[in-house]
Amino acid sequence: MRAVDAGVEGARPVVGLDYLLEKLDGAIAVLAGTRDFAKPAKMAMVLDTARRVMMRDGGCAAIEERAMDLEEAGVFQGSDWATPQILVPDFTIHAFQSPSADTVVVESLSELRLLAVARGQYHHPLITAEEARDFLTRVLVVNISHLFSPPSEVERITQGRLALLSRRVLRYLADQLGYQYVIEMLVKEIWRILQQRPIQVDSVKSMITRIAVSQADPTIDLGNGALGVDRLVTSLFGPTQASREDPGIEIYHMRLKTMDLNSLRNEAIGFARAMHDTGLVSPYHPVLIRHLLSGPDNLIPDALGLSSTGRDCLLCYRDLVYALIDEAVYPETPQAVYGLTLMLERGILYQHPVAPALWRQLGLNLSERSCRRLTSALGDDVPPRVRLLEGVLCILGLPLGVGQGNNPTCQSARALSMWAYNDPDYLLQMVAWAARDDEIIMHFEGKALSSRGVVGLEESALPADLDPVSLLLVPHLDWIYTEMMLLCEDREGDPHRWVNPEFHGWWSGRGFKINVDVETGNLRDLEDFLRHFYAFYHPLYNGNQPLIHPQPAGIAATDSAGRFVGWHAITILRVALDPHAVMRVYFYNPNNDSGQDWGDGLIVDTAGNGERFGEASLPFEQFASRLYIFHLDPLEHGELGSVTQEELERVVAYVHRSWGMGRVPPGGPEGDGSSEESVI
Amino acid sequence: MEKDPNKGYIALLGWSLNAVEAAELFDRRYVVVAPDWAEEYCKKHDIPYILWNFERLNERSVEIAEMLKEMGVDVAIPLFEETVEWAGAINSVLLGNPRLFSQSILMRDKSLMKRRAQLGGIRVGIFEEAQDREDVIRFLIRVNQALMKLDGDPNDPVHFKPFDKAGCFGHRVIRTSEDVDTIPAEEFPALMESHLDGWEFAVEAWIHGGKIRFLNISEYVTLGYSVFVPASPELERYRPQITREIEKLIKAFDIEFGQIHPEYFISNDGAMYFGEVAYRPPGFKVFELLERVYGFNAYQASILVFDPKTSEEEIEAFFPREVVDAKGHAGCFGVYPRRRVVSRLEIPEETEDHPYFESHELTPPLEEVVTKRTAFGTHWGLLYFFGEDPTVMRDLLKRQEELDFYI
Repeated sequence: MRAVDAGVEGARPVVGLDYLLEKLDGAIAVLAGTRDFAKPAKMAMVLDTARRVMMRDGGCAAIEERAMDLEEAGVFQGSDWATPQILVPDFTIHAFQSPSADTVVVESLSELRLLAVARGQYHHPLITAEEARDFLTRVLVVNISHLFSPPSEVERITQGRLALLSRRVLRYLADQLGYQYVIEMLVKEIWRILQQRPIQVDSVKSMITRIAVSQADPTIDLGNGALGVDRLVTSLFGPTQASREDPGIEIYHMRLKTMDLNSLRNEAIGFARAMHDTGLVSPYHPVLIRHLLSGPDNLIPDALGLSSTGRDCLLCYRDLVYALIDEAVYPETPQAVYGLTLMLERGILYQHPVAPALWRQLGLNLSERSCRRLTSALGDDVPPRVRLLEGVLCILGLPLGVGQGNNPTCQSARALSMWAYNDPDYLLQMVAWAARDDEIIMHFEGKALSSRGVVGLEESALPADLDPVSLLLVPHLDWIYTEMMLLCEDREGDPHRWVNPEFHGWWSGRGFKINVDVETGNLRDLEDFLRHFYAFYHPLYNGNQPLIHPQPAGIAATDSAGRFVGWHAITILRVALDPHAVMRVYFYNPNNDSGQDWGDGLIVDTAGNGERFGEASLPFEQFASRLYIFHLDPLEHGELGSVTQEELERVVAYVHRSWGMGRVPPGGPEGDGSSEESVI
Repeated sequence: MEKDPNKGYIALLGWSLNAVEAAELFDRRYVVVAPDWAEEYCKKHDIPYILWNFERLNERSVEIAEMLKEMGVDVAIPLFEETVEWAGAINSVLLGNPRLFSQSILMRDKSLMKRRAQLGGIRVGIFEEAQDREDVIRFLIRVNQALMKLDGDPNDPVHFKPFDKAGCFGHRVIRTSEDVDTIPAEEFPALMESHLDGWEFAVEAWIHGGKIRFLNISEYVTLGYSVFVPASPELERYRPQITREIEKLIKAFDIEFGQIHPEYFISNDGAMYFGEVAYRPPGFKVFELLERVYGFNAYQASILVFDPKTSEEEIEAFFPREVVDAKGHAGCFGVYPRRRVVSRLEIPEETEDHPYFESHELTPPLEEVVTKRTAFGTHWGLLYFFGEDPTVMRDLLKRQEELDFYI
């Protein structure tokens, strides 16, 4: 059974696919015949051979054919892959980029298995063909960068040739499922993310750029094209009559110079429409605005697409707004236009400290360290001062667009968002301190905490995937937050009770409820906790009082199978009836994408239920079931007694089915109901 | 598998997944005797298990022997070097033969082992015991004097092996006094041997009733790096002579049953020198290689020859014919990182694309800076090969030494 003539001089012997498949089938048979406890030892041969098979032409198809044998032999046994119905498409991004070959291979095998399921060749007991197809299209969408572009530098360093494996598999999936569907999903995905109006849109922009490139590539069949592709592509590359064919900044500028007022108005309206449609700003847009600044400036409100509120605000603060445009709006910083627009629409310039604070921002001298940090993370195509100003306009315009990046510190992102939303001049004060002085001072119960000198000693370890304002502030805030937590170390109970109000602002309620025993992690006083939550937040039990200030709260984050993942910081923004007359909690989640599946039927929505840009929402009782910490004003008394037992029991059941599993203390889930100690 | 109550009841000393799997699929009752870290795994998978931490033998050692005896266990099989004297102690109780314990001590002490071999008329190199570094330097000088080296001639190396380490672990080749300085104090006492030029190989022999029942010759391509089975025809040529040497060994060490793993050199003039012998499965996964070529499970073979209730017929039916029944040659290669700083694992294409390449058990690097290697036996994982031609196999294994797997 010699596969090739290994003795041929000079020629390096290479094995054929058939030979590898013979080996693979042998290895699968061995694995299948092995007792469970010894399977791990037999897995290496299967995974390694499967990897080599998939690297050959025709290999992915061969694996797809063997999907059932592989699964029955036990390649997925003991891992999440064994239960495909709970897999999360987004996690495949990390699996495909893992430095471990086994992880990449098992993920690939799982995808090819689902393809077999989707095509009806493999009837899987746990997942239907339709679910499998949906899953795979999501996989393609989230890994779209792998589909269209070669490995990045990072991938090449961490994965080497392995980086090609996921590309082969994704290509195969896309070839089989059809690009058209993928593009459709991708476009939907982009729209879904854009509806949340994030501040950071670089990744979205690069996805759109990739689509634009592949539209032009004759080797990729995009099918008949998808709805909404053009709107996305043109919003970046040619939203108006005069920029339609993406002529380049220079030529566009020349064209503007020869235009009459009417044509300019058309351009202005075209840009504004595209910007408000997508939240994305074309680099041509700043060219127009700067042109208008030096001439027919009465068209600027049109170019920003302002409503009467924004228009009025602009007219009241014209010098300031023009100065901001002059200083911050460049083709390299197009999003500044959108930030400025929404800031004007919010009317926050009418709060007296805001305008002078922005004047300070305009003249602010940045410290060397701040400049370095901004340049190293965001590049040096514009001066750091300009980059920061763009960031300031964006955070003031889109306070719920702040994301924590790929960093564990959700509290700081939440605080920034809350200040931008509720206390913008305080945020501007913080920015000035951090950017100019490299120091932030906050007080904890009268004790001053200064971040001077303690932050950023190891700059390379600081997060870099953040918006400009977060880049400068987060390291300081993280340090101060941790310091405050340490000051509470000796106190009994959960430190958030004291830290949250001191850290976020006076409006965080001093009353505090928690349903977890800090010592044991067990549930405690759950019903009492929920009753208070209803009585304070639910308009039907609190005298129909809308929530006045955003409140920090803690949730028990769960995955799509309802399993506990970790504690997470969010902000409760408002509680109101949605268009379908369901009482919903609208909240801010510092995660970069708030649309999440929390398991047990809890799908966090970001649009379609009355959400404003950047808000996430859940029906009240579903939200309550993931809550573990909230603040309240102890002097406000809701109607504790009117909350019905059935309502509470429904929530308790949600808790017990998800993160509360295994947390019910031996003596029963409830304490004695007395709660004096949990309110200051 | 259905267990036969008329056959022996086996205790496996030490944790080896492959051994447990083999026992599970065999018709003997068995129990695993292993440290506490194996408990959870055994419980989870219903593997019969007794907790025992194998430290140095002490007065409590008899406890485990009596515990096993009470359970009706017939014999204990050592899976690792560290459990060899335990098996001796336990089997001397189970089988009522105190000499089994002294035999196991011989197997554990490399110096005693050599003396015993020498007494049995087996040819060995020059050897001495070293208590400290000075002993090593003196030995190095004396050996080279004996070889009539002049000042300035490069020294002939000597070998240094801690008394109680398995296989290649702690094995150092000493050429200069600087090499001596790198030996850590805890590796003393140790055995020193003169270097034997020649062809080194190992044998795995299964013995029952004082007779050889199966004898495999494992050919080393480069000691500490690579091995394949069965050996090439050039080495198999010596099989009759090798068999006679093993018979001498059996006699010298008074071995009635079990599986041994001795190492030899054949010098250029065809004389055989004894290196050392172990009373346990070999390292480098030779058992797995044997199963690949012959199809029998070598752990089950050991269970068979250890079990006092095994019948002659069963033995005869179990073992294949040596060499002629082999389906090909199976080899493995131990990978050592060659660079000082590594960031990831990548199997070279030329290795992966070779038709003989089967699989590997390399894992991604845990740390980036590679510790300098001073002794053999700490490879980062094995590559497995299988093919028909022993010459291709040997060249292939040799070639791997020049390739980078960690870059």
